[in-house]
Amino acid sequence: MDDRRAARLVETVLRCYPARWRRRHGEEAAELAALLIRDGTPAVSVAWSYLAGAAREWLTPRPGRYLTAVACALLVAAGSLGVSAGLLASAAPARAASTSQAPGRVHCRPGWPEPVPGVTPAMSRPQVINWEARHGRSC
Amino acid sequence: MSRQDGKAGQDVLRRVGEASVLILISLADGPKHGYALIQDIKQLADVELGPGTLYGALDRLERLGLIEPLPADDRRHPYRITATGAAALRVHLDSLERVSAAGRLRLRLGGI
Repeated sequence: MDDRRAARLVETVLRCYPARWRRRHGEEAAELAALLIRDGTPAVSVAWSYLAGAAREWLTPRPGRYLTAVACALLVAAGSLGVSAGLLASAAPARAASTSQAPGRVHCRPGWPEPVPGVTPAMSRPQVINWEARHGRSC
Repeated sequence: MSRQDGKAGQDVLRRVGEASVLILISLADGPKHGYALIQDIKQLADVELGPGTLYGALDRLERLGLIEPLPADDRRHPYRITATGAAALRVHLDSLERVSAAGRLRLRLGGI
């Protein structure tokens, strides 16, 4: 990897750090990377080390960041609740409609069965007998 | 080995990681900036400290009050060990020595 590409790679990775860190260490970190690469350390290795450091930097709890994290968590929770409520609200009319039609329970719905040609309904259990005769299933 | 409690004798370096201890050892003989620290630790302990690890450890040690930054020399920020840092390093090295001595003794007793 040539010097320019290595510098660009390190520069890109250094942008992953929080702004506070970049203000404090940014210039020195870029210079240190250049010195290490000049000494023979692979640019990818230097970039990887900075990337891992940036991840650790973001994950390390700090007082200000703790408040931000709590605020973000509350926003996410509120958003999730809103989405859930929206889903429930949109599902309610659909459920009401499906209950009135009740496709799975139509077999057991009281009412007169369709007449089956050649079958005379029995007087005691007309619905069930007719249904079994047509579909081979009972309620 | 007895656990050392109390502020004065507490081994605060027990949980800070090897990199932080090596940085303190490197700073024990005088202030250094990042590149000099990496070079010195490589020579001292044959450990190649990554620059990301270095800055993470420096920030942690500074938060603990074990090192402090000196005025920037060009773009480089030298660090020096504080009195608290030197005391903490001494306690940690004493602890390592006790563990090391116990380990050697057990190896002798075990005839290995």
